[in-house]
Amino acid sequence: MLLQVRDLHVEFRTHDGVAKAVNGVSYEVDAGETLAVLGESGSGKSVTAQAIMGILDVPPGRITGGEILFQGRDLLQLKEDDRRKVRGAEMAMIFQDALSSLNPVLSVGEQLGEMFVVHRGMSRKDARAKAVELMDRVRIPAAKERVGQYPHQFSGGMRQRIMIAMALALEPALIIADEPTTALDVTVQAQVMDLLAELQQEYHMGLILITHDLGVVADVADRIAVMYAGRIVETAPVHDLYKAPAHPYTRGLLDSIPRLDHKGHELYAIKGLPPNLMAIPPGCAFHPRCPRAQDVCLTDEPPLYAVAEDGARESACHFWRETLRDA
Amino acid sequence: MTPEPMLEVRGLVKHFPLTRGILFKKKIGAVKAVDGVDFDLGSGETLGIVGESGCGKSTVAKLLMNLERPTAGLIRYKGEDITRLSGRALKAVRRNIQMVFQDPYTSLNPRMTVGDIIGEPYEIHPEAAPKGDRRRRVQELLDVVGLNPEYINRYPHQFSGGQRQRIGIARGLALRPEIIVADEPVSALDVSVQAQVVNLLDRLQSELGLSYVFIAHDLSIVRHISDRVGVMYLGRIVETGTDTEIYEHPTHPYTQALLSAAPVPDPEARAHRDRIILSGDVPSPANPPSGCRFRTRCWKARERCAVEVPLLAVPEGFAPGGGPGAHASACHFAEERHVVPNGA
Repeated sequence: MLLQVRDLHVEFRTHDGVAKAVNGVSYEVDAGETLAVLGESGSGKSVTAQAIMGILDVPPGRITGGEILFQGRDLLQLKEDDRRKVRGAEMAMIFQDALSSLNPVLSVGEQLGEMFVVHRGMSRKDARAKAVELMDRVRIPAAKERVGQYPHQFSGGMRQRIMIAMALALEPALIIADEPTTALDVTVQAQVMDLLAELQQEYHMGLILITHDLGVVADVADRIAVMYAGRIVETAPVHDLYKAPAHPYTRGLLDSIPRLDHKGHELYAIKGLPPNLMAIPPGCAFHPRCPRAQDVCLTDEPPLYAVAEDGARESACHFWRETLRDA
Repeated sequence: MTPEPMLEVRGLVKHFPLTRGILFKKKIGAVKAVDGVDFDLGSGETLGIVGESGCGKSTVAKLLMNLERPTAGLIRYKGEDITRLSGRALKAVRRNIQMVFQDPYTSLNPRMTVGDIIGEPYEIHPEAAPKGDRRRRVQELLDVVGLNPEYINRYPHQFSGGQRQRIGIARGLALRPEIIVADEPVSALDVSVQAQVVNLLDRLQSELGLSYVFIAHDLSIVRHISDRVGVMYLGRIVETGTDTEIYEHPTHPYTQALLSAAPVPDPEARAHRDRIILSGDVPSPANPPSGCRFRTRCWKARERCAVEVPLLAVPEGFAPGGGPGAHASACHFAEERHVVPNGA
């Protein structure tokens, strides 16, 4: 297994109290596999990713428990120097907003080439040739002519391709993409998603795709993990989850999206608001918003129940059987 | 539709000049943000406008609100052109056309209480509510949008994104307008909260008889809320029709590409659908292509497209009134193509 996150806990200390952002998250990604981590703002999906990459803001953030095993080593036990060697070379991250992630005063060629100069000790000239090669790989037209241009001279879609090129540069074993297409237009979104999926296959990388959009992940992910209030509430192979969710929160999310193929009546809306991370409800964190909530949900925190025999599906709902049956 | 529409927009154009020099500004070109837009909005109707960034949809919203003056064209509100109005006459019209903004975080003043924010329109239009009555009106508005009337003295930061958007909607309703222009009103919200706000807008429309211009990039939300839809590309409407006509019988290649690229939360429906992946990016509105503006990315483009601007009308070959395919589409080679699979 390429990456195993085990029982990860992350909290943020603020003036108003301790915000529990991640509360016992476990997931795995294998080489060549795509895991989509789905959740709304505050669900802990990005904080988990930052902990894996080792780019969490400490303080106020703090990892209070758990392990992150990457190719067998626990990253949380490594020294910062060793951690830095892993970051970029063995795992890389793609961010949502390419314009603010790229340096505006360096040409894209310099930024791409820097990876090779710093990690591989290449000369500037060789690094530049590598940069052109990478830009070709992510299908930026006229790469040779554009290698000296600056980020603002590229369109949003092209900038996101440069981000992908930068992540791929050292051929890492794992890529974490945090909302990689959210800032892009629909027609460009499809281009970038296709490119990412294709390159992942080619390099046989593990890919963690973090998103809030149920539509974007539907045809690129192998498995989906749904997060709510810092916990995974459901994991499933992608087809199973869309066909029959086993958690009322997933069900609610799927039902609340308007459809393209017909004009519905009133949309289903999950009542209430996502929880305050400083005061997560006891028992099941979703119970105040859940149409199925019973007394047991107010007191007993549901474990991840095995929904499928082989362990490929899990649901953190006391009533997963009923949810699945009514799907 | 009523015989006289609420709004009639004809030949609307907005060019922003590009200048060089500081002291002696020389005009060197123009960004053609909106370049010839026509539409009607009926009473109680919702017109959805979809398009990608830079297509001019937000500029249309600003023009409708009279926040920008058009370079050319007319906007008639109940028969009267409002683009040349000023002073008292403009103020009177503005009472009836109100706006809901995209970002509930920056569109509410953080130092004003919710009561002051929602009541501010009464300061500008004192005739709308007598002074002693305003607090009660604001509380009523809070109730209408589903917020607790006791929150009247709280500040925006004490609310979540979805609640703030409700505050923005309450402010838009304060003067009892007839038309609401909503520019991406739910795109900053989480999925589970989006549905709540969309349902609220639906409910308010039927209760108060509002007309909406609903501007968004999310195709499925636009379909859900709109009676008619206009698809914009580089400053022009390229196709317009009822939601069924646009979503089930699109004839313009851009609409087809947009629909086929829309993320659909169902892997099985996606496997069966006809995917059109456009190459390249949207050209700059400062220097749009000649003829049809979409031709640089269109797989059907031929010589004619470079020289002849396609008009927004029922295309040749489609008999007017001849089924849902026969609606206005600005393409020389318009033909129906079904791109949205069932289950999408």
